[in-house]
Amino acid sequence: MALFILRRLGVMLLTVLCLTFIVFFLTNLQPNLEKLAKTQGNMRMTDEQVEIWLSNRGYDRPVFVRYGEWLGVLPGWVGETAQGDPVGRCIAEGMPPLAEGEAPPAFCGVLQGHWGYSTVFRAPVSEIIATRLGLTGILMFWVMVVMVPMALLIGVLAGMREGSRTDRSLSTVSIVSTATPEYVSGVILIAVFASSAVGLRWFNGTATSAMDDVTFRNFTLPVITIALYGMGYIARMTRASMTEVMTAQYIRTARLKGVSFRNIVMKHALRNALIAPFTVIMLQFPWLLNGVVIVETLFNYKGFGWTLVQAAGNNDIELLLAVSVVSVIVVLVTQLISDIGYVYLNPRIRIS
Amino acid sequence: MEPLGWGAIAAQVFVQFTPVWIGMVAVFALSIVFKRRLGLYGKLFDSTIGMIGFALVLFWVFTAIFADAIVTHDPLAQVSGLKNATLGTPVPEGSVYTFNVESPLGLKQSGPYYLLGGDNLARDVFSRMVAGSTVVMQIAPLATLFAFMVGITLGLPAAYYGGRLDTVLSFLANLILAFPVILLFYLLVTPEIVQTGLPSFMAMVLFLFPLLFLWVLLNSRFYTQPMKQKLYLGGVVLIGGLLYLSVISQDRTPINFWPDALDLFDIPGGILIVFVAVVFVNSPTVFRIVRGIALDVKTRDYVAAAQTRGEGPWYTMLWEILPNARGPLIVDFCLRIGYTTILLGTLGFFGLGLPPESPDWGTTINDGRRLLSIYPHPAIVPAVALMTLVLGLNLLADGLREESLRD
Amino acid sequence: MTKSIDTGRCVHPGAEMYAREHLAGKLSRREFLTRATALGVTAAGAYALIGAPQPAQAQQTPVQGGTLRIQTSVKAMKEPRAFDWSEVGNQGRGFLEYLVEYQRDGSFRGMLLESWEANEDATQYVLNVRPGATWNNGDPFTAEDVARNIRGWCDTSMEDNSMAARMTGLIDPETGQAREGSVEVIDDLTVRLNLASPDISVIANMSDYPAAITHSSYDGGDLYDHGIGTGPFRPVEIEVGVRAVIERHPDHTWWGTEVYGGPYLDRIEFIDYGTDPASWLAAAESGEVDLLYESVGDFIDILDGIGWTRTETITAATLVFRTNQIAEVEGRVPYADVDVRKALALAVDNETVLELGYSDRGTVAENHHVCPIHPAYADIGPAPFDPDAAKEMMDATEFADFEHELITVDDEWERNSGAAVAAQIRDAGINVRHTVLPGATFWNDWTKYPFSATSWNHRPLGVQVMALAYRSGEAWNESAYASPEFDALMAEALSIADADARREVMAQIQQKMRDDAVIIQPYWRSLYNHHNGNVVNAEKHPSHEFHLYKFGFAS
Repeated sequence: MALFILRRLGVMLLTVLCLTFIVFFLTNLQPNLEKLAKTQGNMRMTDEQVEIWLSNRGYDRPVFVRYGEWLGVLPGWVGETAQGDPVGRCIAEGMPPLAEGEAPPAFCGVLQGHWGYSTVFRAPVSEIIATRLGLTGILMFWVMVVMVPMALLIGVLAGMREGSRTDRSLSTVSIVSTATPEYVSGVILIAVFASSAVGLRWFNGTATSAMDDVTFRNFTLPVITIALYGMGYIARMTRASMTEVMTAQYIRTARLKGVSFRNIVMKHALRNALIAPFTVIMLQFPWLLNGVVIVETLFNYKGFGWTLVQAAGNNDIELLLAVSVVSVIVVLVTQLISDIGYVYLNPRIRIS
Repeated sequence: MEPLGWGAIAAQVFVQFTPVWIGMVAVFALSIVFKRRLGLYGKLFDSTIGMIGFALVLFWVFTAIFADAIVTHDPLAQVSGLKNATLGTPVPEGSVYTFNVESPLGLKQSGPYYLLGGDNLARDVFSRMVAGSTVVMQIAPLATLFAFMVGITLGLPAAYYGGRLDTVLSFLANLILAFPVILLFYLLVTPEIVQTGLPSFMAMVLFLFPLLFLWVLLNSRFYTQPMKQKLYLGGVVLIGGLLYLSVISQDRTPINFWPDALDLFDIPGGILIVFVAVVFVNSPTVFRIVRGIALDVKTRDYVAAAQTRGEGPWYTMLWEILPNARGPLIVDFCLRIGYTTILLGTLGFFGLGLPPESPDWGTTINDGRRLLSIYPHPAIVPAVALMTLVLGLNLLADGLREESLRD
Repeated sequence: MTKSIDTGRCVHPGAEMYAREHLAGKLSRREFLTRATALGVTAAGAYALIGAPQPAQAQQTPVQGGTLRIQTSVKAMKEPRAFDWSEVGNQGRGFLEYLVEYQRDGSFRGMLLESWEANEDATQYVLNVRPGATWNNGDPFTAEDVARNIRGWCDTSMEDNSMAARMTGLIDPETGQAREGSVEVIDDLTVRLNLASPDISVIANMSDYPAAITHSSYDGGDLYDHGIGTGPFRPVEIEVGVRAVIERHPDHTWWGTEVYGGPYLDRIEFIDYGTDPASWLAAAESGEVDLLYESVGDFIDILDGIGWTRTETITAATLVFRTNQIAEVEGRVPYADVDVRKALALAVDNETVLELGYSDRGTVAENHHVCPIHPAYADIGPAPFDPDAAKEMMDATEFADFEHELITVDDEWERNSGAAVAAQIRDAGINVRHTVLPGATFWNDWTKYPFSATSWNHRPLGVQVMALAYRSGEAWNESAYASPEFDALMAEALSIADADARREVMAQIQQKMRDDAVIIQPYWRSLYNHHNGNVVNAEKHPSHEFHLYKFGFAS
């Protein structure tokens, strides 16, 4: 088991390396760098000015070298401004202030704990990621709180008696909810529950104020929007797994022995039926991330997904790299947990 | 003229869809009569869920095909005074115009009403929704098909040979899957990246797979019949090659080497880029599914039998393993078209890819949502269209799954 | 400058002439106020000249205290001279003040300048510094500060300094710096500007948002970190794209309290709700903000509908569809051909664009970027519209089959107007497609697109925009229009302080703009904003300015 986890961690590391390099490479293509120079410097710069801007900031060197610097395996570049002041990766904004006479460190990359400086938000990347991830964490927490019990309930109720009327109607509900993407349901929910046109105005159509203080009023719609889309899928998995368990030999035996239906479901079927949904729920995290991006944009909740859109839209290289690292780690770690959890929950499977 | 009432609107819309109804009735009648001879497809008509799903999908397929006959207005034409008009608003006198539809119908007279109202730019919501179905139906199934060809061409050998090939391909697939989809879109579809020609290069690689797939498929089948083999392969190379070169060589991109005389068509605006992005995102998932099923099927007796017979590896893969994996693949294909439709909408939501006046549903929903609280119809109509199509595909997949399990 | 009347000094003769013109019905009140105050007459003085009572400045004096939440974009603070958004100016306006402030009624009033006088041919300006003004670190505000800032504006070596283009009369073209002797400090409270050529727009330019006055210790970087200014507020925090907060400075005595009153608020929060007006509406509906930066398009009616109070201002803000005359498309330069440009202009009916693109909330413009509310506007009739002639003209050029690509930014009304223009060109039988780019991408290359739409803010004088945007080689000359005749006409116009005399030149300039088909300009926008009904003195300003010291709550 330890070896298995170790190997998985190794693959994970390799994936993160490859992936960050891809992101690094794509964001450092010439047109993207020009865009960066113009948004940061001035929109009206000439091509020569753009070149000077880029070389003054060390963007004109080979992409592999700079990737190494970002990682912290190569020493950060140093140079001089036109006035003769030293500049360089390790003296840039966002680095901890140096004591008088102290030389800046030679290496300053991710390995040294420096995630860089966001060009859009003008703040250290690690700071931004921490705040934004915290906000998204709150959103995800509430989504899980709403989505998981609802999905399991629907799935178990539907799968209990396959083919019954309850099954048919609940299955249809879950199919409809998977067929309605967030940008459709969010839009409809806002129109119905938050706009003056319909007049209900039960909830707020934006979640900006939820960043300071989560209330029922400002957080319900975003949570429901994400939860709805994810719910259908989990419910269907639970139903499938429940129907399978209900036709298993030991359940039939129990029924023949005269155990009440209620007891069969509660005591025998549930535990086995919930193994599959557990994996699905863990694997839903990366999917939820997608929904989070849409919902945070739609509801103006400035969390991780919103940061992703801002970083990508403005070609904020170091922020985008950090965002990718975080999201990839989320994806891979949840996969790992789901695998490990599967083994623990289902004693019949052993890692070969 | 008076605005239409609800009943009249419904009747008018119903009449407009006449070609669709005829097509659907014909398909259903024929299918039900001959359902015993039609294999899995025929069995679909034993399941109510499957039939409902199939009907919904068929509705949109026929709508896309007959779009030119159904639309009442040019989807891009703006009629002054009908901005955000409500359902059933008559077009002002003197604003009737003729427009060109690309079909034998030629010129067409614009209709007397905006059946489902006008949008923010005074365009006919009904016609845009219908025209949008064509865009969606062109991209979503085709992109899914391409993704399947890529996934199958790579997934079968990965499972069949295993070893290092499998490790490398699986690692690459997992790598792409580890990207959040939206980040991937932002990295691939922005104007700056398009400027570098990256999507065009990706198109070069991705569109090679269907050719490769067909080549290997036919080559392995007919290697005992050299005449037929040469004929079919020649056909694939000639027709496929021409199509391939026409597709990847686009005006206004770095790859524009193919002479215009032989360039059959240029795919408009962002469609190629969107197409490539969607294929790229879908392929690794298909790869994983194909690989998983193939690993399972590989252990069956008939595969061992084929190997003992001395069949080549590609023959075994494509003509022994693949047909036996078709059930789950067909089901996943249906689901994946729905997912692709949703992805297209997501791209529209972030304003990436397709041009803004495109009538596709994602873009129109995104346009309409801005004014949703007072004028819901421009957003609700395409939203319902998108929902019903995806719902239909899901139900169809459900029906197919149920029926194929009964085998 | 009531003072100049009180002390019996002469009112500027130009102002008196304007007053006569106004009384004779030749000038609107608004035009009169703009012109007279630009020459150094205070608003009160100007009203006195025409014998009209000055309208009460505020309907109501706000109550003291409270936190105002404003929906607006929150952008990174730069060096003021490089400001490229009105929003950035507003974020700094609480603590960085201006020499002169442009009022909603079209007049200028002194802020850090108490008053100013111009000589007759507008080549010399005497600036009287506000007595008693101090920096919030305790330093007194002096003529030296004014001179230092003006010299800074003249520094052309700073690549993104947009003030330099506004101060050409003070700049030595050889050194690229302020000309020796052009900015004279006469005494502690007086500065004299000696211009190389007449320029009537100097005072107006001093009210523009990049002209914020900074302290001598400021040396680039984030202004919120620096925090030293003369204004009544101080910066608290800024998080780009999220929010910025300023609060009343507790131990700084602001000069303006006894002169103009205020400030009333304790704290002001600028909250960013993105670029989608639907989310601004959502913010308003849920009561998360008190005031919107701007309400646009169909949202104006919706906001009225939810019971918010609308304010409106008529402006010379506009959307310009311009071709770039040197842009290459596939190896050809389509818009170098004047007939191509003319054909495009002929194909577009400006009235229809106003209706479809901006819901008729403005006035039709005439393809020459001079607004009827500008002084010296010459009426040369509406822009011609003839789609058949357009098609014919286009077919006669070598670009008959050329597919034009119209690029607009992804903003509600700009996009809609772009779609309307594209549809009309298409209706005329000319190939066109419409591309919408997201904001960040669009602004990267805004001057270089072959055919695109740019929004222009209101400026008090017609010549200001013309000088910025259409003279050969200017940084903001996005049409790449280079006409020596036009430049000569502009030089002439800029030297004529008298609007009537200038009008003749303006007529030629306007006609030249239209004959050369430099731009398609469908409409002038009226600007709107909304507040929740409890905000006082926050009416929409034609240049999008927030005069934060005036803002307050009614109860």
